[in-house]
Amino acid sequence: MPGWLSGDPLNGIIITVAFFISVIIGKYIRMKRTASGFRGKSIDQRIKLFVLFFLIISITLMTHWYIPIGISMVCILISIRANKFGDYSRKLVFPLVLSLFIIVIQGLTYGSTKIDLGIISVYKEGFEYGFLIFSRVFAATSLIILMLSTTCETDILDAMRWYRIPTVVIDISSLMIRYIKAFSTESRKMKQAQESRCGFSRSCGFREKMHNIASISGALIGRAFTRAEQVYRAMVSRCWKHDQSDMLGHRPLNNSDMLLGFALSAGIIILLGIDRAL
Amino acid sequence: MHISDGILKPEWVFFWFAISTIFIALGLRIINKRIKEDPVYLPRIALLGAVVFVISVWHIPVPVTGSSSHPVGTPMASIIIGPFATVVISAIALFFQSFVAHGGLTTIGANTFSMGIVGTFGGYFTYRLFKNISPLWFSAGMAGLVGSILTYMTTALELALSLNPGNVMHYWKLYSLGFIPTQLPLAFAEFAFTAYVIKYIHDTGSMEKIAVSCPLDRFTKTALLLMVSIISIIAIGAYAGYLDGAKMAGTDGIVEAQAAPLASPDGIGIRLMALLGEPLGFAMVGITGGLFTGYFLSDLRRRN
Repeated sequence: MPGWLSGDPLNGIIITVAFFISVIIGKYIRMKRTASGFRGKSIDQRIKLFVLFFLIISITLMTHWYIPIGISMVCILISIRANKFGDYSRKLVFPLVLSLFIIVIQGLTYGSTKIDLGIISVYKEGFEYGFLIFSRVFAATSLIILMLSTTCETDILDAMRWYRIPTVVIDISSLMIRYIKAFSTESRKMKQAQESRCGFSRSCGFREKMHNIASISGALIGRAFTRAEQVYRAMVSRCWKHDQSDMLGHRPLNNSDMLLGFALSAGIIILLGIDRAL
Repeated sequence: MHISDGILKPEWVFFWFAISTIFIALGLRIINKRIKEDPVYLPRIALLGAVVFVISVWHIPVPVTGSSSHPVGTPMASIIIGPFATVVISAIALFFQSFVAHGGLTTIGANTFSMGIVGTFGGYFTYRLFKNISPLWFSAGMAGLVGSILTYMTTALELALSLNPGNVMHYWKLYSLGFIPTQLPLAFAEFAFTAYVIKYIHDTGSMEKIAVSCPLDRFTKTALLLMVSIISIIAIGAYAGYLDGAKMAGTDGIVEAQAAPLASPDGIGIRLMALLGEPLGFAMVGITGGLFTGYFLSDLRRRN
């Protein structure tokens, strides 16, 4: 008979009662929200951007792996809940692989306490430090991926404008977003056209292939410059102005968003405090 | 080359942000000035930003360093639109690359420093150095090669400074060596790519239309060139000393033995160093000397 059951039933009773009452309350809240058509309030992008930056900086300040790993787990749950786990995990693979390499390198080269693993021996301090970096990368990357999968680029640029980022940077960024897509599509088309003329056949050596790639890129840049000028003139003819900050204005932050920002910032500071106290 | 969030320590995050911000501010000033003269300059640099984004987003992982290898594209952009504008567009490209989990938000400063500042200026100065003594394709190619290698050496230094501050030189070497298997072939590919692209743009007559000269006067260019040359000599000398077994402990011992008996313990130099700490003290000396020289040099030259 387990000791907690025969000798100390109080804790078992408390946890059971608390769990089941919470289940009932949770179910009731869910039903009520579904009935009233509540779909969840989206957080203002300005608050999101601030909290994201603050949280990532705080994660880099943390000295234990527990909280970053906890944040990563929460991100995984949110991505599953939002049906974005596929995209989230695909983007996460590369940074995680890189941080795994950091564990290996730090474990093999840094520290003084050796742990013998049979064929090789690793350093305890290096392994712990590497794992801390791994957990930080995992958490920070998860946050960025989640944030960007729930916010479109134009909203982020709008938030940046509100934070008084120079107008020219916003203008270049907004034009770049447009050009990146156009440039990628156009380069794919030109590569296919070149392939249809046997430009990338297997018989081509490095020199010919590089010549082909560079010709396409050169032509693309030259052509795109002309096109960019035409598009720009068309935009100007439709009253587009370089400095639109005064024209666009900004929706003021409402009280609930500000309160949420304060609450989240306080939560981050508490997390940092807990990490330091551990 | 992109360093992810969470790898650099906060003090290094802010340090690289501070340095990059200075260059970005200078770049923005030049861009704003040029846009006033020619508004079409804005879509041109945005387009080059898209080019830098597309070129530098193809990456392969580098096992040893915990980073990645890819072509940088900034030397080519600096030849076309000038180095300062390239710093700005590379910072923006890096910001957008963090959207695809390539790099990070808090590491934009460090990544901009390696790819946007060192890669850009290294490539640009190489191009200017070779431009008058070699064919255009060779000088452009060398810019690509040197810019690419310098970018990765800087990334290795950033990683070593933040991850292993106790043994920077050893880890800088280790991380630099880790980049070699992937980056060296890519650097040669970047040589060929930059050479061909610039040659193509030049041959088709577009170069005059799109290229922008660096809006720096001769004095500034000479000063920057001298600065880069002297730093290179110091860096090479320090590295040679390190390979020879020196402990990089500085020359304090020599200075103390030779000069301290003659120095006044209450002198302004010693008091300043005690107040500011060595690096800030040296920076103050550099700033004072530089301002004084810069202010009176043109006057002296005119008199001569």
